[in-house]
Formats: sequence, C-alpha cells, structure tokens
Amino acid sequence: MVFSLGKVFRLATRDYFHEWQMSGCFVLALAAVLGPMLVLFGLKFGIVGAMVDQLIEDPHNREIHPLGSGHFDHAWLEGVRKQPQVAFLVPRTRSIAASIEISSRDSMRIVPVELIPSGSGDPLLPKAGDLVDGVSRVVLSQSAAEKLGAAAGDTVNGSLARRFRGVQERVHLPLTVAAVAPAHAFPRDGAFVSVRLVEALEDFRDGRAVPELGWEGDPADSDRSYPGFRLYARSIYDVAGLRDAFAKLGVDVHTQAAQIELVQRMERNLTAIYWAIAVIGLVGFSLSLGASLWANIDRKRKELSVLRLVGFSTRDIVWFPMVQALFTAILGWGLAVGIYEATAWVINNMMAAQMESGQPVCRLLPRHYEIALVLTCMAAVVASGLAGLRSARVEPSEGLREL
Amino acid sequence: MSTENTTEPQCRRALIYHLRDVVKTREAEGVAFRLRIPNLQIAVGEKIALIGESGCGKSTLLDMLVFILQPTDAGAFCFRPDADSEPRDVDAYWKHGMLNELGDLRKRHIGYVMQTGGLLPYLTVHDNMNLCRNVLGLKRDGTVEHLAEELGIAAHLGKLPDSLSTGERQRVAIGRALAHRPTIVIADEPTASLDPYAAERIMSLFIALANEFNTTVILASHAWRHVKELGLRRLDHNTQHLEDGKLTETVVSG
Repeated sequence: MVFSLGKVFRLATRDYFHEWQMSGCFVLALAAVLGPMLVLFGLKFGIVGAMVDQLIEDPHNREIHPLGSGHFDHAWLEGVRKQPQVAFLVPRTRSIAASIEISSRDSMRIVPVELIPSGSGDPLLPKAGDLVDGVSRVVLSQSAAEKLGAAAGDTVNGSLARRFRGVQERVHLPLTVAAVAPAHAFPRDGAFVSVRLVEALEDFRDGRAVPELGWEGDPADSDRSYPGFRLYARSIYDVAGLRDAFAKLGVDVHTQAAQIELVQRMERNLTAIYWAIAVIGLVGFSLSLGASLWANIDRKRKELSVLRLVGFSTRDIVWFPMVQALFTAILGWGLAVGIYEATAWVINNMMAAQMESGQPVCRLLPRHYEIALVLTCMAAVVASGLAGLRSARVEPSEGLREL
Repeated sequence: MSTENTTEPQCRRALIYHLRDVVKTREAEGVAFRLRIPNLQIAVGEKIALIGESGCGKSTLLDMLVFILQPTDAGAFCFRPDADSEPRDVDAYWKHGMLNELGDLRKRHIGYVMQTGGLLPYLTVHDNMNLCRNVLGLKRDGTVEHLAEELGIAAHLGKLPDSLSTGERQRVAIGRALAHRPTIVIADEPTASLDPYAAERIMSLFIALANEFNTTVILASHAWRHVKELGLRRLDHNTQHLEDGKLTETVVSG
C-alpha cells in the first residue's frame, strides 16, 4: 500500500510538472480567487483591528467623569473605587480652585495651568503616575513645559492668591518638575499633581489653613466633599456598565460609551459583511477548483486507464488527482500569499500618512495564513477525491480506446 | 474464496486461456452487438492472430482477455498463467467484484500493446518501458536496455515520448509490454497507425522478441497478409447480421 502510494506520488508529481503550463493555469486560477480574499480579510482585520486597538489603547475612551458638580465624600468614592470594573479613581476639587500660576527662571512668562489630580496608576501617566506625590512634585503637560522652558528635574515657582479677611494675599511654593507628560495625555497647559496638593490649594483659596505649607487660615473641615472625580474603567467594555451603574445612583456621567458602541457595531457589521463575501468566495472557489480538477481528470482518463492496465488499483488511482490537487492547492496558496503581501504593502504605504499610529491598514496574523492553507487543501482534497472516485468507476476499457 | 471455488473441472492443464460459451452483449441506439465465443483454447507459447475488420469485436475479446471488461455471461473463463499454478476462474473473480485480484493477475502476467502506444507523456522512454517492472518492484537487470537495443530505440531512452515518431512510440509500447517478462502479451492492432513497410518491420521485430522471451502472443490485426508469414495461428470468426440488422453477432472459436 505505502509502496504503491509512493509510486503514485512520484508519477503524479512528474505528470504535474511535465504539464507545467496546464498546472500553472490551475495555480493561477486558484490564486486569482484566494489572493483577493486574503486582501479583503487583511483590510477588514487591519482596519477594525486598528479601530479597536485605538479604542483600547487610548485611556480617554475609558474615562468617566460626572456631569455638573456633585457632593461625593470619601466613603462614597472609596466604595466606587472598590468596584472591579474601576481601574483608577481620584477625586477632583472645584475647578475654579484647581489652577495655579507657574513661572520659571528660564521664561519671562507666567503661565496659568490647570491642575489635574493624579496618582499612582493614572492611565494618562503610564510611566510617571508614581512620581506625583506629596505637595511639591508635579508632572507638567507638554504644552506647559514648553512655555516654561522646563524639563524633568527643574524647579519652577507656583503662586496663587486669595482675598482673606479683606486682605489680598499671595503665596509662592517651589515645585519640582518630576516629568513631562506625553503630548496626548493633556492637550492644554496643565500639571498633574497629587490629590493632597489640589486639596491644599482649595483650602488656601477657601481661607483655610494649610499647616504643611505654612499657610494660615481657618481650621480645615474634617469631612471634605468633592464636586467631581476622574475615573477610568478597567477596559472599554466596562464603560457602558459603569455608566448604567452611576445612572442608578442618580449620577449623570460623561463617557465615550457611544463611540465605543459605534465601533463595536461597525466591527460586527464589517465582520458580517466579510463573512458573507467569504462564504460566497469560498463556494465559488471550491466550485472553480472542483471544476478544474474534474475537467483535468476527464482529460487524463486515458493515462489513468493505462495506469490501471499496468496494475494500479482503484484505490491507488484516486490518489493520483489528489496529489496533483494538493500541489495546486499549496502552490496556489503560496501565490495568493504573494499577491496579498504585494497588495498589502502598496495599500499600507498609500495609507500610512492617514493612519495616526502607523498601524498597517491591511494585515494578517500567521494564524490566518495557516487557516487559508488548511481550507484550501481541504477543498482540494474533497474536490479531487470526488473526481478521482468518478474516474476510478470508469471501466478501463472505455478510457483506453480514446485517443 | 477457497481454491475449490476458483477451480473448475473444465479448466484443463497446459492451456493459458480456456473460454467456453462466453458472451458479451452491447447495445447502443437500438442496435445490439453480440460477441459469442463457444470455445476458445490458447496454449502456452502459442502465437494467435485475430483478424478482422474494425468493429467486428476484436477489441471486445481482447479487453475480456486482459480482464478489463466483464463478460455478460460465461460458461467457463479460466486463466492459468503458469504450469505450476492452479487455473483461475476469472468469471468468479468478476462476479465477486474482486477487481484488485484481477488487477494483480494482469500486472504480473499480461503485457498489453495499445493501438496508439498509450505511453505516459511525462515519463522518459526508459521509464515508460520500465513502468510495469517498476510497479512490480523488479530490480534493474538490463532487460529494458536489451529490449531498447533490439527495438532500435536505445538512443532515445532519455527522451520523452513527444519527441519520437509514431513508429518509435509503438516500439516503446512493445518494449513496455515485454519488459516485465509476462506470460502473455496482448496487442491490439499495434501497427495500425504505421505505413505498411514500417508496420511489417515492427511486427516481425515484435514476434521475434516474443519468441526470444518465450511469450504467448495474442494479436489483433486487420491485415492477415503480413501476419501469416510470421507463423501465427489464425482465429476464425464469423459475423452475421440478424433480426433485420438490429443485431450483429460475431462468433469466435479456436
């Protein structure tokens, strides 16, 4: 069995490459169907993949903040923070109090900056979140750092004023620039600071004392409440759930849930369209492969009859077209991958300018190539097996008389 | 299947083929064709010529003799490839669908020369001639080279059949049929497509080689003239049109 199989394999191989023109046509026909399908899938995978990646990677899409101002106390915030869907949560002070004027020695300008309460684990500061600590360290937004001519390690001068008991007061505090945040973290002039520092600045403006900075005033309230918070969901898929949970608590929040849903719906629709095309393509491809293999066996009836005459059994004969079909499948797949690679390269180069992250528009994973190969080989084996069985049923005497 | 079943008492020894009351009927477009063989005995080493116009049933008989066409009915159909083995009941093989056994018998004991060569275009002349030997797993022993020498095609061994003339291709086909030293070679008008001069030369080469290899030969031809000089026994046949031309019957015996 194995013995004669090897012989059939050798004969089928020699026939296949002897008829290289005919075989080449079969390979081309297959690649002509499979190549565009790979490109189509590559585009679908690349575009949707890029959109989803962008959604997942951009922490802004996971951000949730309340609309208007509320009264959130420590215990309430602590309860929210404990939710498993919550990745990061810091309270915000009143936005009118959350600003400061900064000057530096290298710049003549006094730059008013917004203060963003931050801390360890802030998704906007994946590298520098830990550096925001105490009341003297800040992470400047890029725009603020440029205006101040400040870099990491520099010390800048923060100042703020209040009117207290009828007297205008201004205090200064030295701030160390721990780092400069990446540009996309905060587009305006801003500084990421610890919660403690924004609280201190709010207290000062409200006329309360801040002993650790030596600012005098009324004694501080023991139970502080915050008008808002910065919250980041663990993933974009948790955003809608958290929004609904807040709605139940009577807190209206702003989220990117609508955009996330849009992309998710788009992904579903594109996937459905792709599968419709893929199924039609696969059926057409199987039919074209089957038809060419079928026709090929008709053409070879005489030669197959000769093989049976010299003693190859029916079982052996079925292998003959199957081996050739596998050659067509593998070579056609290879050519299709070549077509895909070339097309993808052109598309990606053309679209590179339009893509923000430099991510390819058209891409496939190694797994996709493997699936395409397996499907192609399976279609080839089935089609040629059926055609081979048909040829095996023909009486050899019929095939022999054909010229 | 046991030996008793495959052996019938009618299968006498020393005969390579013994057919009794074998009938093959074919029908196409209202016209029937019947080949009837009341009795046919072919002894080992015999050279038989089956002479007749095309369409008289020569190919049908040959196809039955190489087990690629099932008889419609058979009183007895025995094949005995060599003196040491029991005769095989071919009809029983057919009736039990033992096609692979028939294929085995054909592979080992029968060489076949087709009207138009039937060479595989993707194999060299050498590999075409060696095909049956290769299938049987026979070792190289110079037989192919010797045959090529005798047939005058030694220079073409490395070529593909496409580059040969029709006559050369028929020589290769004869070489292929003999190369595995079969008991019997069956040739279906092997020289029909050649000019008379070449046909005569190739036919005598074929018979000479068959004599050298001590092979039984059954040869179909439409020209008795140049076959009778080679000392072949002629099989009689008689074609009749019956039932107002609706049935053509050929009777072969010998």
